[in-house]
Parts: sequence; structure tokens; C-alpha cells
Amino acid sequence: MSSVAAAPALEEFIDAVCPPIERNRVRTAGLASFEIDGDRPDIALWPATLDEVARILSEADEARLAVVPLGGTSHAALGNIPEGYDVALSTTRLDAVLEHEPADMTVSVQAGVTLASLQRLLAGHGQTLPVDAPSTDASTVGGLISSNAQGPLRHAFGTVRDWLIGTTVVHADGTVSKSGGRVVKNVAGYDMHKLYVGSLGTLGVVTEATFKLAPTPRVDQTLVARFDSPGDAGRAAHQAHDRSLAVHSLELLSPAAAQHALQIPLWCLLVRSAGLPGAVDRSIRDLNTIVLEHRGKLDSVDAICWSAWAAMFLDPPLALRASVLPSQVAAVLEVMDRSFAGAAARASATVSAGLIRLRLEPTREERGPALIQRARDIVARFGGSVIVEAAPVSVKHAADVFGELRSDFAIMRRLKQECDPRRTLSPGRFVGRL
Amino acid sequence: MNSSTINSFPSGASGHGTVTRQCVRDLRRALGRERVLATPEELIAYEYDGTIERGKPQAVVFPETTAQVAAAVRVARRFDVPVIPRGAGTGLSGGAVATVGGVVVALTRMKRILEVDPENRFAVVEPGVVNLDLSRAVASHGLYYAPDPSSQRACTIGGNVAENAGGPHCLAYGATTNHVLGMEIVLSDGEIVQIGGRSRDVPGYDLTGAFVGSEGTLAIATKIVVRLMRMPESTRTLLAIFDVLDDASNAVSSIIGDGMLPSALEMMDRNIIAAVEPVIHSGFPLDAGAVLLIEVDGLDEATREQAAEIERICTRHGAREVRLAVDPPDRERLWAGRKTSISALGRLYPNYYVLDGVVPRTRLPGVLRQTYAIADAHGLAVANVFHAGDGNLHPNLLFDEREAGVLTRVLDAGAEIMRLCVAAGGSITGEHGVGLEKRDFIGWIFSESDLAAMAKLKTAFAAGDRYNPCKVFPTHRGCGEVTSARAQATAAAVGGDVYV
Repeated sequence: MSSVAAAPALEEFIDAVCPPIERNRVRTAGLASFEIDGDRPDIALWPATLDEVARILSEADEARLAVVPLGGTSHAALGNIPEGYDVALSTTRLDAVLEHEPADMTVSVQAGVTLASLQRLLAGHGQTLPVDAPSTDASTVGGLISSNAQGPLRHAFGTVRDWLIGTTVVHADGTVSKSGGRVVKNVAGYDMHKLYVGSLGTLGVVTEATFKLAPTPRVDQTLVARFDSPGDAGRAAHQAHDRSLAVHSLELLSPAAAQHALQIPLWCLLVRSAGLPGAVDRSIRDLNTIVLEHRGKLDSVDAICWSAWAAMFLDPPLALRASVLPSQVAAVLEVMDRSFAGAAARASATVSAGLIRLRLEPTREERGPALIQRARDIVARFGGSVIVEAAPVSVKHAADVFGELRSDFAIMRRLKQECDPRRTLSPGRFVGRL
Repeated sequence: MNSSTINSFPSGASGHGTVTRQCVRDLRRALGRERVLATPEELIAYEYDGTIERGKPQAVVFPETTAQVAAAVRVARRFDVPVIPRGAGTGLSGGAVATVGGVVVALTRMKRILEVDPENRFAVVEPGVVNLDLSRAVASHGLYYAPDPSSQRACTIGGNVAENAGGPHCLAYGATTNHVLGMEIVLSDGEIVQIGGRSRDVPGYDLTGAFVGSEGTLAIATKIVVRLMRMPESTRTLLAIFDVLDDASNAVSSIIGDGMLPSALEMMDRNIIAAVEPVIHSGFPLDAGAVLLIEVDGLDEATREQAAEIERICTRHGAREVRLAVDPPDRERLWAGRKTSISALGRLYPNYYVLDGVVPRTRLPGVLRQTYAIADAHGLAVANVFHAGDGNLHPNLLFDEREAGVLTRVLDAGAEIMRLCVAAGGSITGEHGVGLEKRDFIGWIFSESDLAAMAKLKTAFAAGDRYNPCKVFPTHRGCGEVTSARAQATAAAVGGDVYV
């Protein structure tokens, strides 16, 4: 909607924010890389300080310009089509590590720090932020928080929600607020930072974040177990989970996904066993027993296959994420695999979290909206929910990304209204097109 | 006194209405006579929680269903009186105290475990279920509920949700917020809403995450979906004895920094040992500067490796002795020493005041030294027993309330220690909550603008100041008078059954 902001209004806005923003950190052309759902902003800005973010937001709010905060844009496909998109606010210049005291196992960073550089810094101290969302070199901490992106480490480490202990946020009117802090245990005030995780920048722009950290495992081995039936694979996954083994990731892959990531056209469990050496040895022995009991076969594989796994879910034509109960995962996957055979479905599930990722390729016969509806019908039978992680804009016009609203939507609407009354921030992108 | 007022609380002190006879009649009609208390004698037991704070409710109701909770809330709203949700009353920040009067909604009769799903490792419980009862009820499935506040024999899951309760084992497994998947809540107009759910990911803002730890100010949880954990196949418990307290503190940082991830890492100082050991005989040497109680759990191979490494780290930091519990009774003995620490202080002094602050782990040595210095400067003794692995301090100020002016010194020293935690980059509370006790300290860590953002959540939940007014945030127009009520309450006894 590059025409929403009339040229004079845009000029006024630029004058209002420059200075403090230097002109070379403002761009009004060549904005293809900021495209969201086929729409380009009129202007992109790269603030370098908290105050500059506040200035941009308060001026945009005043001028009724719609702002979408962006990091590395690797998950920009998530969300409903923005109702307005005048200003792209890039956080990539906010790239300072604010505090890292290794012995405290916490780190505070600005939102534009890339995940890759953060992990490199931490690795030097034998530490990690244990979230392995499919990402690119450009993916940022802020993007991770606002998209709640996640990968196979979800099995043992949850999501970024479980590691985020404090945030600083700039709200639409330019006010700045923080919540939480820099200590690992803290119950002072409301945990506002929980609300920002996965909120797609609709409540504020996260500018700083503090995380607790995990130690890098001393031993880290990747294994694959292949099975003839999804039932066997699912039961084996459950048993492995139930024994509390030293397992950091446990993904159940459909044959098409396993073919892509592992060149094995069978139902597979892709497992990362990690921790102290004795615990890993014992875990692999137990895994082998469990796999054999379920008529499967366990082998070691190169950890590089995790990259192949992640590649399936970067830039997919259509990607869905279903949430069901862990015990239902194998059954849902089996139905989906049959039902979506024509759409080149590749599915991978974090069984213990009840999380199923589905990558689809719509065809002329099976168009996106119909595929989404079918997935929702299948999952609804199990009482779960489906969100669209990525889809072409034409599909988003026909299907809501987040599905049906629930009884708590009124609370969410009031929250949005309170935090962003003029709907300046990422308008329309979130649940219920907030 | 207004003739229709039930007890002596001044009408409108908080800017709210008051509980009239008609209001009590309506509560009785809505819930049944046997579920409403309103005479002064009946209400006495509900004037306090685990703290020194006092406040008189004008009615206490005991709903047994969500519908009754909603009915009580609607009556309270009609009469514009505040609602104070209450669990077992073991809280340590005055969160369940009816500081400006109103209707206490006691949830202790809603104590059913509605569903246990061992395969998917969750349970659905009512808020009045006692923490330890839940773990006992699911033990036959090899499961347990991880957050273990020291009051777990008495405190309720609903209260745990309100306070985001912790406990020794939240070092490895997180506090309550990491174990709640969803809830049914009753808003201040009586509307019943589901937030979160049984499956892990529900689209939308993480209202569950924001609700946990909201200290009864947003809504009343009437059903809670909690995660259950698999009991570990192996647990190893170590006692590390240090001559010098600083060495113990440094060992804590090394254990965490080396990635050993113990499930619990507790410290007890010389004064605690002096109180506990003669009674419990846990084997804490009376001449030690501090002891660490360290637990690892998981696979047998993992705990063996961790225990060996932790022993090496402690020895490297000057531990005089590191002892591994040889059997379950031995382990129980060690934990008995830890868990009865605070009540054992009663042997040394008639009264004690438990503080709750957090600092980054690497700041422990300096902060502990200054804690002793502050107590000393106020002519008070202090005993420290705390969750060292989290940097979560619990200094206990020891005194005799019969000594003139001592309470002022206790409160002053407490406030100074909180200032110290804040200056070290920490927080004014790690697990007890802000409540009434620390309401006036919250400005030390949050700006007006931070608090304004939090106030938006109250509006989102349409809570206004109907639920637990004058707690956490010092904003409500009638709350100024509460401070003096607190000062008066301070004259009351301190101590009793306190758990941390």
C-alpha cells in the first residue's frame, strides 16, 4: 500500500525524524528486500539508538503512518497481510551486545544482533541460546522474539519464551518500557515480555532482550531411526521421550521429509543425543533397544542433516504449523501424509511438544486455501489448531493465518487497543487481524 | 460507622464501596449460606497470610464451582467492593491480605484434580489443590509436579500461579510459569474465559505467561492445566562444607558456569546451621562458614558424572569436605535440615523477618558480605538460607519484638538489603511476589513508564482495581492510606510458620 502515505506527509515525516536519524539511514527507493505479502513500504529507516526508535514511532504514530518492525526478514512471511505498511523500521543497526557475564549464564543484547553472531560469541564461552529456528545469517534476536520461531531443540528446551528474562520495548507512542530484568529468577511486576514473544511487533518494537543461557553440550551426536510405519515411529518416539534420555531433539519425519533431509524414503526419527559422555552413551544404547523393539533401525548420521532439515522450512511455498497433543502426533501425521500426497507434503513433528510442521506445494488442482482448510479439518478432529507459517499473498487473501478466534480474543483486542490505539504497529498482521 | 457496614473498615477507604448487609445477603443467596462468612469472629482467621501484614475482609466466601466464583464476583461488582483471591494463605508478601477490606474469595474448597493425562503429561486441577497433593496423586504414573515451594505441603496451585512460585528445584526446571499450559479464569465482571490450553501452542498473545505471577490482580483462575514431569531414575545429593562463606559463593558460580545444571543448589550460612543442626542433625558442622546442598537428577550415568565434577569444583574452591548422600534416608536428613531452616530460627530469636531478593550469581560473595554489614549496622543478626544457584537470597533478620523500636530497624535493614540487590543488578523479589510488602519498592526497578505499560494489562483483562487493589502497583487513589495500615500492622507479631 505504498500509496497510503501521500508524498507530502512522507516528506514531513522524514523532516521530523532527520535529524536525529542521519539521511544515510533513510531510504525511499530500492526497498524490495522489505516486501511483505507483495507490499513494499514507502520508506525504510535504520535507527541506531533507542531514542531514534522512539522518535520514529512517535512521529509515525502522530502522522498515522503504519510501521512494521523488521530484523533479518527471515520470518516476515508469518502473519496476516498488513493493513498498512508505510514505514519499515529495521532493527539491524541496533546490533550491540550490552552485557555478557559468562559465569552468570545470561546475556543482554540489542534486538538487531544476529542470532549467528550471538551464538558465535556464546560458543566461545561454552554457552548457547538453545533455540534453533530455521534461520539465515541475517536472522536477528528481535525477529526470533517477535516470530517465536523454533526448531528441533524445542524438544528439550522449549521456545524463546522459556529463555527470555527481560525486554526493553518502544511502544507506538514512542514511550519506552522494560519488564523482567537481568537475573534468572524474578517475579517483580507483570511478565510483559511473555506477551511480546510471537506478537509480530503488534504491541511494540523490542529493542533490547536479556536471555538466560544453556551450556554447550560436551558430546553431541545425531542419529536416525527408520521405520516402516508411522505408528511404530510414533510409539518409539513416545518411549524415548518417556525415559528422559539425554536427548535434545527428537523429530518424527514423514517419508517425503526424510527423503529430502536424509535421503531415506521412510518414516524416520531424527535424534540429537547430547550432554555428558556417559549419559549420551547410555541414551544411545537405550534408543537402540527402543528402536529395535519397534522394528526399526538406528544409525549415526552427520549433524549436517539438521541444515537440510531447516532448509525445508525456509522459504516454503506453503507452510503450516499444527499444535495437537503429543499422543496424537503420529495419527495426525499419518492422516496428513495420505491426505496431502498430491501436494508434495513434507512433515516433521516435535513429538513431545505436539508440534507438527507441514510444508506443502499447492497445485492447480489443490490450491492453498483448500489445503489449509483440509489441514484445519483434520486437526480440528483432534482438538488442535493450525496456523499458516508462510503462504503466498493470494492464499492469505482467502484464509486467515491464525484460524478461529477463541474466548480470550476480547482480552487480546483490548491489549492491542491499549498498547497501540492508532494501530500504528504492524496493523492487521496478528490474530483476528489486530 | 455506617449503620449498614458489617465491620469497622471505613467506607470507601480505597475508593471502593463497602460490603453492606445487603451485599452479604446477596452473596449468601448466590452461593448458599454455608459458603459465606461475615461476622467479625469468623473473619479473624482471614486477616493475615504468611507476613506481618494485616487487613480485615468484610466477607469471606468459599465457592466450590467456577459458577459460584463468577456469582460472587458479580455480587462484589454490583456493590463495587474489591475481591481478594486467596489460596492457603502461606504467601510471603501480603498478597492475600484484604488491605482495603472487601470480599475474600477463598479457593480452598475447589480442590479437585479434574483430569490426569499421563501420556501427554498434564493435569487439569482446581486452584485449591495443594501443591504436594498433586505430586502425590500422579506419583503412581511415575510423574510429579516440578515447582516445589517449601510450603508445598500447604500452599495451593492457584496461589502458586498467582505468585509464580518457585522452590529449590526451579533451578533446573523453572518456576510455575514454565509449568502452566492454560487456565480457565473469571474476569471481574464474572465472564469465564479460557486462556492457553492443553496443547502447547495456542495462537495469540501469551496471556497465560502474562497471567502467571500477576498476584491476583487480573482475574481468578478456576481451572489450571499444569505440565507434569517424569520422575528421574536417579537423584544424587551432595553436601559441600566450606570454612569460608565466600568460597561457597564462588563454588556456586563455577558449578553453574561450568554447565553442571544441578536440579537444586542451596546455601546455608553459619547462623542457619547453628539453628538447625542441634535439632535436625543433618550433619552440618557447627564450625563451618557455609554449606551447599546440591542435587542432580536424571539418568544414572549423568548424575554420576555431574556429582563427580561438582565434587571436584567444590574441592577446588576450598571445600573442607564433600559428602554424597548414601541412601534415601540420608538424603531426607540433608533436606530436612534445609526445609526446617527458617522455623528452626525460632530457637535463636523469638522473631524473624524473611527477605526475598535476587542478584546475579557472580555478585553473591559481595552482596552476602554487605548483607551481614547492613544487619550489623542496625544491631540485628541475620541468617542466610537460600537458592544460591538462582542467586535468590533469603536473608532472615532475627530480633525480639519486645525490644523497643526494633521493628523500625528490621524494616529499615530489610529495605537496605533490597536496595543492595537492586544496585547489584538484581530484583526485589525472586519468588515471594511484590504484594503489599514491596509495593513501595517496585519503583526502584521499574520506571513510571514501565509501570504504565503493565497497567495496560489490567485494562486488557478489564480488571480495573477490582481484584486485589493496592497490591503490586502503588497507583490506586485510595492506596495511600494503606501505608499507615501497614505501619500499624507492623506492630503485630512477626514470625510463625514461614517457608521459603
